[in-house]
Amino acid sequence: MKLKNVLSTSVVNVSLNGESKEEILEELLDILMKTGKVSDRDEALKGLYAREKKMSTGIQYGVAIPHAKTKAVKELIACIGIKKEGVDFAALDGVDSKIFFMTLSPVDKTGPHVQFLAEISMVVKTEEARSKLLEASTAEEVLAVFGL
Amino acid sequence: MTHKMLLLSLQLGIIVVAAKFFGWLFAKKLKQPQVLGELIAGMLIGPYTLGAISIHALEGPLFPHSGEAIPVSAELYGIATLGSIILLFVSGLETDLKTFLKFSAKGSVVGIGGIIISFLLGSGVTVLLNPSVHSIMDPAALFLGTISTATSVGITARILSEKKKLSTPEGVTILAAAVLDDVLSIILLSVVVGIAAVSAAGGSIEWGAIGGVALKAIGFFIICTVLGILLAPRIVKGLKWFKSLDIIIGASIGIALLLAGLSEMVGLAMIIGAYITGLSFSQTDVSHEIREKIEGIYEFLVPIFFCVMGMMVNFEAMAGVIWFGLAFTVVAFIGKLVGCGLPSLFVGFNMRGAFRIGAGMLPRGEVTLIVAGIGLSSGAIGHDMFGVAIMTMLFASIAAPPLLIKSFSGGSGYRTTLEEKDEAVSIELEFPSKMAADFMRRSLADGFRTEGFFVNRLDHNAHVYQLRMDMIVLTLIQDKEHIVLNTPPEHEQFVRLMMMEQLLTFKDFLSGLESMKSPDMMGAELLMGMFAQEDSKKNK
Repeated sequence: MKLKNVLSTSVVNVSLNGESKEEILEELLDILMKTGKVSDRDEALKGLYAREKKMSTGIQYGVAIPHAKTKAVKELIACIGIKKEGVDFAALDGVDSKIFFMTLSPVDKTGPHVQFLAEISMVVKTEEARSKLLEASTAEEVLAVFGL
Repeated sequence: MTHKMLLLSLQLGIIVVAAKFFGWLFAKKLKQPQVLGELIAGMLIGPYTLGAISIHALEGPLFPHSGEAIPVSAELYGIATLGSIILLFVSGLETDLKTFLKFSAKGSVVGIGGIIISFLLGSGVTVLLNPSVHSIMDPAALFLGTISTATSVGITARILSEKKKLSTPEGVTILAAAVLDDVLSIILLSVVVGIAAVSAAGGSIEWGAIGGVALKAIGFFIICTVLGILLAPRIVKGLKWFKSLDIIIGASIGIALLLAGLSEMVGLAMIIGAYITGLSFSQTDVSHEIREKIEGIYEFLVPIFFCVMGMMVNFEAMAGVIWFGLAFTVVAFIGKLVGCGLPSLFVGFNMRGAFRIGAGMLPRGEVTLIVAGIGLSSGAIGHDMFGVAIMTMLFASIAAPPLLIKSFSGGSGYRTTLEEKDEAVSIELEFPSKMAADFMRRSLADGFRTEGFFVNRLDHNAHVYQLRMDMIVLTLIQDKEHIVLNTPPEHEQFVRLMMMEQLLTFKDFLSGLESMKSPDMMGAELLMGMFAQEDSKKNK
């Protein structure tokens, strides 16, 4: 899965407004709704909540990767959101989450889902990449961190 | 007729019990491949040894010598042949064709190198040391050449997985090369059988004729494989109308037998048709079901085949070729060490890595036996050369494992400066019970499959799986309550996330269990039901 096939400036928001985990999830999903590839918003949201209920997707160092496999999409879609002030996402290390990658992929199709999450996590595992993302003021600057 | 059937029934009874016992003894107690035990069982009870002892009630021995090249009765040999067809059908079924078609360039260089050098050395030494063989085109030289080419990767796979070396560049290269090796050995066998048939008919062996035979063999293989791969999914789709898995499985075995007969009709070995059928069905969505359902027949017939192969070892005939056999074994070793090791030096490995790859390709097994058996039955080789083949197989299978283990001590076998980059990372999880670990292993395999990976079980006696997608190769091992995933460092993130997601599935399963009606209550209801019948009778 090539990041450039999935990510573009239209799915990047460098200043999310949400103040809580729920608001951030809704806001990120709205970005994905704009792609026209989500057939059922409620179904997708239900999937995202179900996954968060099992365990928070807030990993470490202010990065969160909310994701779900859902019937609401026919192909893998993803978006990037940044909230410089941070939000309590119930992350594993207790640190507020600032960088969000939301991924939705189809339930019954064979294809990368976890591999895509891993690909993104690889990029943001360095301190340098994370601070560049937080300093970015445009979508282009965000994508540049991913070499796009 | 009745006496023949009576004898066959007694023979099969003894064979099955002896093969199973020796197989168990070798696999579980001596930690050697099961097939060696089955083979040795045959040597001990066959017509050249204990089987020759006359039994009063039978008015003769249990395994009377048939007086022909194949010393056992035609009926028994027929059942053993059926075993070899099932064996090759399953080998084809288990071949990961996508990996084979996309195998890494390194694997193909190593595999082809091993085949060519082993073949040339094997047939060369036969001509050189054997006064009755005059040319490399002599059927005996051709068969012995082919015998030295086939690698049995099962042994190597088990050792490498135990030592956590399957995901190393050497491990991946050996496995890719071995898949290619199997297919090439079988094609080579078709060519050799063709040439031997021309030669046996008194035809002169000219290069033009050999070209023709080779073309026919390769053509048959390719045409049948392509047709099979195109048709098998359609056949399965059509058969699904019956809504019966039994019919699909029956049909696939039927096709394997038909194609086996057809290959024999066009002058090739029967097992080639069986292998092609397996390969074709490996591409259908029912391949796992077929494999599982025929496990019973496999476990019954395949040990009979190996045991009967052991019965063909004529120790008297072998006595004269012991030195040749030893020389041939040494040459067969050199063939793989040089043939696979040398090309590895050109694809990024150092001397240490090259030696490891050569050592990993040493074990010989099932295909060697099949080639030798076909050579013997067609008259291309005599009992002496058949014995040599068995000797090579025994020595290679016993000597290769310690050599392989020793070769993997020490540093990296890769020549790049990023040596430490290639060391595999092991991620281990421990569960409270084997049953919990079983659940997690199945869940992980399913998870990797949905991500587009091919899951290939490497060892039937242990839970060792190779997970492969394009160039990514991981190993999944379950040892009782432990689950281990070996991964190259660049995919560690992915593997960790994957294990994490599957662990959540496991958690879901547990919470599902907790919400279940109390097991105590269920148990109580079951027990109370035990006397319900009595109580109701009394009340009446």
